[in-house]
Amino acid sequence: MRKSRSDRTPSRSPSVRGDEISPHGIWSGTISFSLVAIPVQLVKAVETGRVSFRMLHSEDYSPLARKMFCPSGEKIVTPEETIRGYEIEPDKYIEITEEELESVSPERSRTIEIVEFIDMKEVDSIYYDHPYYLVPLKGGEKSYRLLVEVMQRTNKAGLAKFVLGEREYFVAVKSRDGALALFTLHYSKEILPHEDILPKEEKVEAEHKSRMKKSIKKMMADFNPEKYADERREKIMELIKKKTKEKAPVEAPEVEVEEGESPADLVAALEKSMRKVKKNR
Amino acid sequence: MSRKIVEISGKRLALSNLEKDLYPSYGFTKAHILEYYRRIAQFILPHLRDRALTLKRYPEGVEKEPFFEKRCPSHRPPWVKTAEIRLDDGEPMTMCLVDDLETLMWVANLASLELHVPLAKAASRETPDSVVFDLDPGDGANIIDCARVALILRDLFSQLRLSSYVKTSGKKGLHLYVPLNRKETTFEDTKTFAKAVAEIMQKNYPELVTARMAKKQRETKVFIDWSQNDSAKTMICVYSLRGGEKPVVSFPLAWEELEESVGQNDPEKLQVMYSEAVSKAEKNGDLFQDVIVKKQKLPHL
Repeated sequence: MRKSRSDRTPSRSPSVRGDEISPHGIWSGTISFSLVAIPVQLVKAVETGRVSFRMLHSEDYSPLARKMFCPSGEKIVTPEETIRGYEIEPDKYIEITEEELESVSPERSRTIEIVEFIDMKEVDSIYYDHPYYLVPLKGGEKSYRLLVEVMQRTNKAGLAKFVLGEREYFVAVKSRDGALALFTLHYSKEILPHEDILPKEEKVEAEHKSRMKKSIKKMMADFNPEKYADERREKIMELIKKKTKEKAPVEAPEVEVEEGESPADLVAALEKSMRKVKKNR
Repeated sequence: MSRKIVEISGKRLALSNLEKDLYPSYGFTKAHILEYYRRIAQFILPHLRDRALTLKRYPEGVEKEPFFEKRCPSHRPPWVKTAEIRLDDGEPMTMCLVDDLETLMWVANLASLELHVPLAKAASRETPDSVVFDLDPGDGANIIDCARVALILRDLFSQLRLSSYVKTSGKKGLHLYVPLNRKETTFEDTKTFAKAVAEIMQKNYPELVTARMAKKQRETKVFIDWSQNDSAKTMICVYSLRGGEKPVVSFPLAWEELEESVGQNDPEKLQVMYSEAVSKAEKNGDLFQDVIVKKQKLPHL
């Protein structure tokens, strides 16, 4: 079972060694600026604590599959029969093909090219999207450490554009606990205007102001995230643990993938051989 | 247009357009192609012999559209051997048989870079000489993944006391052959066997293998195409050139070579160029020889 969130040390960076490419890597390439090029691998920095459930058929615990349903024809539609449409106004669509989408997608790239360095303090937290770590690969350890140290001391971060999958991301690379962290940032156009939600300006009395200041001061503490945990998640995990002890899990029926039957003798012989092969490998 | 008359075994043959660059990005001309097939002839001919040839012709080179030609061109020299083949109950069709060097040269001169043959001989069209497993990597998978699958298949067959042989497709995948060479075998047998094997592979290595044709299900996996075991289908002949960007050959590999390439994770190693093909064949002989002579029986069929 996965460890619950509170058991994990939240502030541990990945080990900074010239590791072989880890299977958990999302991307590998080089991070570069001026004459520096450091081979790195991108790995996850967080894992959300959401408990995920599978939808099952109540009758036999078969995991359910999603199918596309066409309400107008009242039938199941195969992936080959689907196209991609952009809703230009309600119920009016423009088709965009796979090729067209590809033609406007950025070319895959093996580099994170830092184009400028900024002061990290200038970055409003609303821009932060998703955190990752960069792990040095063989041959990159020395310059990696150097970059970590210098950025740490100056509290600077590198801004870069970076293509992952089909999207081009706007990212900040900064140092964190001896490692390089990469944050994808929101593009400024994604940040919603907030003028509408501001209350009307009214005069605030000095007395009220100082009273509130005092109450806040009384409640001041150091930022200590370990004190907080997702209690619902922990309760769910406890519940699952308890139920597993009380009651054996129900096994889902094996899904038959065959269209036509293969001769039973042949299948049995193949299965027997396969077991031996797997044992010897 | 350049023309050159050559004489092979007393038969006259006109070769044309020798300087035509058929692999433009590589500078590989018709003359190079003829030279390749001349030097590889002793190895490829046993595998072409007695089989109805499907030509895949690239008259304007590999960057332009090729076309398949099943019918043996009517302007053929009188000495080209043919067979009358009835495809799908239609009219019988005259197809070429490539049994000798002169016919091979004539075919190559038609810019038929790719030579495709069925698994059965023309005289016994319903008797496959081997079971074939066409290992085709989906998007996100590569030839090394195919090699992994091929090695598992080799071990599986060796448990069943069947020897198997592997060649590159000359494109992205691998072809694994289990020779049978028994006149009792039918395509129904080989297809049933291949399908059962593909499905058991999918069941045991779901991350690596799919037995399903659908593109979506092939992503990051190796598709074991069992449906090639059919009298209407053809396979690229071993030692044939492929009409890709470079003059790459469908070439047999020793199992050790496959193990090595997996160990080194080097997909490039599994692409054999024409020049390497000739020198390797001359040095090691025909690694695919057993495919056309070894007699084996499929279990439980």
